[in-house]
Amino acid sequence: MPRVAIASASSSQFTKESGKSIFELACEPSIKVLLESGIGKQVDAVLVSTCATDQYSSTIVSEMLGIKPKVSHRVDNLCNSGTNAIASAYSLIASGLCESALVVGVEKATSAGNRLVWDLTRGSFNFPVHWASMFARAHMRRYGTTEEQMAQVSVKNHKNAAKNPNALFRKPVSLHDVMNSKKIADPIKLLDCSAPCDGASAVLLFSEKKAKKTEEPVWINGIGQQTNGASFASAGDLTELDTARKAAKEAYSMAGIKPSQVDIAELHDAFTILEIIAYEDVGFAPRGKGGRFVDQDEIAINTRGGILGCGHPVGATGVAQVTEVALQLQGRAGKRQVGGCRTGIVHNLAAAGSSATVMVLGV
Amino acid sequence: MESEFTQHLKQGEFRIPVCTKCGKKAWPPSSTCSECYSRTALKKVSNRGVLVEFATSHLRGHEGVFGIVQMDGFRLVGSFESADLSEGMDVRMIECGMKDGTPYYLFAPEK
Ligand SMILES: [Zn+2]
Repeated sequence: MPRVAIASASSSQFTKESGKSIFELACEPSIKVLLESGIGKQVDAVLVSTCATDQYSSTIVSEMLGIKPKVSHRVDNLCNSGTNAIASAYSLIASGLCESALVVGVEKATSAGNRLVWDLTRGSFNFPVHWASMFARAHMRRYGTTEEQMAQVSVKNHKNAAKNPNALFRKPVSLHDVMNSKKIADPIKLLDCSAPCDGASAVLLFSEKKAKKTEEPVWINGIGQQTNGASFASAGDLTELDTARKAAKEAYSMAGIKPSQVDIAELHDAFTILEIIAYEDVGFAPRGKGGRFVDQDEIAINTRGGILGCGHPVGATGVAQVTEVALQLQGRAGKRQVGGCRTGIVHNLAAAGSSATVMVLGV
Repeated sequence: MESEFTQHLKQGEFRIPVCTKCGKKAWPPSSTCSECYSRTALKKVSNRGVLVEFATSHLRGHEGVFGIVQMDGFRLVGSFESADLSEGMDVRMIECGMKDGTPYYLFAPEK
């Protein structure tokens, strides 16, 4: 199959309230990648990833950017929208339908994507923090994972976010801060949770032919995706995510690599417990040992500050994760640059892990 | 449009769609069976279940004890009046309904 590369990637400043429309937000990082890559307006596809239901959004963004694409549509798969849009753009290029594709993820803090109201199985406890607390309780009970280990994830990611000029939270937090932050849903505290925000990220994908003429192509070497249902009732074992495990296995197999070859990863840390479960699901730590893996420094994890530090503009998150790994692999991550990374992965989830995407990127 | 499930729930009745052909429970509620694609019809089902996990919510406006309950062939998130619970315990739905457009399923431990 022909290869597909990321030619350019960029994120906007994530904020509590930007005062901008999703269209204005979407244009910011898009203009950056269009100019930086030198492609200008000759883009074959424009995909907008968002949970905002504004009509015709990708086509409006195209018009605002002066692009007349062959393909234009919006992608929504809740928090897992961004990597889904990239997978679709990948397919458009790999199939030969397009030579280039702009994927822009964008969201407002007020997005409808923050809560899945369709799911009547959640009763009156239907916020994401409620299912997250069930995962945390289950992992603690079965494997002895502690609240301190979860808190360490938050400390690490906030520390990373302090080096990221686009992050929503740029102040480091201590273990004491996290442990003593307001209880939200036992054992989850305020600083174990990510926050909705305004933000946008964009990536520009090129066909192999086009990418070879660019300086720093980042190749999409593997994609794995799995959807098991939309409701929380469809979740099986609460200590692991079957969707993420399957997605990771497929992505590694497509890329022909093992988890031990990964240098850098963006893991979906909407809650601290999710990063711990992710360590296990993507094969970095054995089952049940995720809590003890937080301390490691072999693999650089959530260097942009993750969702905890950057904020969670749901439709933009997956694109922001891919953007970070691409910038790191290109050696363009500024103050937070990790030395010598060649292979990275992105792990992106939606709604209690009911769907998942894992991507392998490489240079 | 309001579903039949919600209409009954408003009256405090817990009836869920069950496939008229293969008997599978359609949960979350659906008019079509996801197994054989036949129509479903509302049916009264057992109100007994087993508590899988529980926690206490301090989220403003959503305070209270809640937990995942494994019913006969489906799962839901129930509310509890006290945290004097343990995982694996037998529980029973004692009340249900709609409040501010959101369903609630109130459970209590089996005596
Ligand atoms: Zn059936």
